[in-house]
Amino acid sequence: MIGVLVKKQLMEVFKGYFYNQKKNKARSKAGTIGMLIGYAFLMIFVMGGIFAFVSLMIGPTLFGLELDWLYFLMMGMIALMLGVFGSVFNTYASLYKAKDNDMLLAMPIPVHAILISRLLNVYLLGLMYSGIVILPALIIYWIMGTFSVTTLIGGIGLILILSFFILVLSCVLGYVVAQISSRLKNKSFTTVIISVVFLGLYYIVCFRMQNFISSFLANAVLVGDTIHGKAFIVYSLGLVGQGNLISMLIWLLISGALVLLTGRIISRSFVKLATVSDVAVKREYKETTAKKRGVFGTLLAKEFGRFTASPTYMLNCGLGVLIMPVLAVAILIKGKMVADLLGSVFGPEAAVFLICLGLGAVASMNDMAAPSVSLEGKNLWILQSMPIDPVKVLMAKLSVQLLLTEIPMILVILASLIVLELTPVQMILMVLYPLLFGLMMALIDLTIGLKFPNLTWTNEMVPVKQSFSIFVALFGGWILVAAMGGLYLWKGMDMGFVTYVGICTVFEALLSAVLLVWLVKRGGKEFAELR
Amino acid sequence: MLQIKELTKTFGEKTAVDNLSLHIAPGEIYGFIGHNGAGKTTTLRSIIGIQDFDKGEILVDGTSVAADPIGCKKKIAYIPDNPDLYEFMSGIKYLNFVGDIFKVEPGIRKERIRKYADLFGLTQDLAQPIASYSHGMKQKLAIISAWIHDPKLILMDEPFVGLDPKAAHILKGMMREHCDKGGAIFFSTHVLEVAEKLCDKVAIIKGGHLIRFGTMEEVKGDDSLEDVFLELAEDQEAEKQGSEA
Repeated sequence: MIGVLVKKQLMEVFKGYFYNQKKNKARSKAGTIGMLIGYAFLMIFVMGGIFAFVSLMIGPTLFGLELDWLYFLMMGMIALMLGVFGSVFNTYASLYKAKDNDMLLAMPIPVHAILISRLLNVYLLGLMYSGIVILPALIIYWIMGTFSVTTLIGGIGLILILSFFILVLSCVLGYVVAQISSRLKNKSFTTVIISVVFLGLYYIVCFRMQNFISSFLANAVLVGDTIHGKAFIVYSLGLVGQGNLISMLIWLLISGALVLLTGRIISRSFVKLATVSDVAVKREYKETTAKKRGVFGTLLAKEFGRFTASPTYMLNCGLGVLIMPVLAVAILIKGKMVADLLGSVFGPEAAVFLICLGLGAVASMNDMAAPSVSLEGKNLWILQSMPIDPVKVLMAKLSVQLLLTEIPMILVILASLIVLELTPVQMILMVLYPLLFGLMMALIDLTIGLKFPNLTWTNEMVPVKQSFSIFVALFGGWILVAAMGGLYLWKGMDMGFVTYVGICTVFEALLSAVLLVWLVKRGGKEFAELR
Repeated sequence: MLQIKELTKTFGEKTAVDNLSLHIAPGEIYGFIGHNGAGKTTTLRSIIGIQDFDKGEILVDGTSVAADPIGCKKKIAYIPDNPDLYEFMSGIKYLNFVGDIFKVEPGIRKERIRKYADLFGLTQDLAQPIASYSHGMKQKLAIISAWIHDPKLILMDEPFVGLDPKAAHILKGMMREHCDKGGAIFFSTHVLEVAEKLCDKVAIIKGGHLIRFGTMEEVKGDDSLEDVFLELAEDQEAEKQGSEA
């Protein structure tokens, strides 16, 4: 019984490997095997490889200083963090918010079997995530440090202890996430902010990892002494990996007891937790007289409403909105230095061109117009059955991308104009080139979205992340930027900044005009005929 | 109010609607009955302009759907068989969206929202996102949005599906009130008892062909609408098999 339930749980977690959401059908056996092999490769060789590299960076030094326990403590903490963060959202979804709780509870399945299967699923995922850190760390230790029966037993013990702690922490954090989620008013914005903060932290950690490891190794003896002296229990966790069986038993008892306690607490309230309906904050309706809006304003508000209601849409198609203001500040602080550096390598004109090109690349990070037609999906009948000129619908979709790209772009341009020393003609081009690039990309995105719509999706992810139009919108922009850069190296440098960027700007204006005329003359009719 | 002349629509080899002609006068509640796949939804979608057609003409209050689709849509409200509304909006935002598109004055809009939302008991849920609505609540919201701009013609595809008995009763009252004021309603239904009691006229469609239409008395005589519908459907089937043989 529990085996069947765990299998179902894992199939749900990895459903993307068995089911093609885009085509809404099951994958072929070969497709599933291929996907699973790819996943295994990613986890074992790529992710495992990264942590093997980290182990190699710190291991030999610590082994030489006879601080093997500190090595295990460090790698254990990384494994714990990855395990908890990797499985906390799965815990939230599978333990506290599972969609099939009602269905399973209505079947002749003992409640404890459902609970154990849910916890086993959380445990196995935590084990997998922590395993990609701790297994390479152990292997490196066994090869470069000490290998014996006790270190082997200690290694297995360490894996178990970490996985037990991950299970406990995932359950606690999953509960916290469930509680916060049910009380949030603006879930979409909160999700976007949290995602961006995590992304930012990830990049900071990646950039600073080398410095952190160097600093840690330089002070390893001091760090080791402090932990040894002031936190003996923590020190004893490190000893587990190097084969101290007494420490292993103590930690196994502590972590095991915590697992039992967590299981007991959850089992007491599981039925209540599993069957509680979403305690969303109910908004009170207050009757007001609405302000009358024009048709275009109404459509624009509707498009903004759709964009801001979906974290997936905002994160995948509107990251440029957040990046541009940050870039403007960065240019004000470091722009002069970067321009001078680029100027010393490529020449002053080329430096200005590269900055222009960079602004174009940032503008192409916004592509909310590309999936906007597909996102109408089952709601298409609303706009088509209303007395609205379809061109207005398209212009509203276009305007969202233009407003969200060009306004922050003006900030970046202003920052560039303040920092860079430019001639009046260069200044005009510095304003026109990125703004027209933004306009051209918005028009390309909308045109592609209209020509290749997918109106039969069942999951918003499909038009926003996996559609042909989004692929063209994202990579098309980068290809255009690369092409303009390549042409500059080939011919543009000889022409000079003003001539070359002037030609590029005229090209952007012409292409924009052609696409705009097409959307007005033909695009509206195509939208009206979408079925 | 609505004139359909020789409407024909094919999907590949299949003729969904074949040479259908119908006239609906102001003040009439016109029921449209037929099996699944008979051509009801195709006809309704053609009238509202979200389904192109191969042949024929549709006039709404004298305006051609093909020549002036926007002009026609200003006079029509449409409720599809499945109320897929904007789930990212709240109920009140959706009603204001419809009100803005149809240029309903804010004061009148407020009054109508209050009237119909109170009738359906939806007022307290208007601030909630549509995503949290049940099927019945979405259907009620779609009905309010159709009535909010006081259209001349209301087209409804299976409007009673998902409604509780009280809401269905309220809708019937609203339909009668609308037609008494000079509006017209054309709706499809499988609930023959409702059609029999509510409709002034009825049209029965099978395999894209209009097999009988007229006033309720003309169509059913002394029999029940259910008996007539089943009998006609069987006759049509037998006739078709005979001609094929």
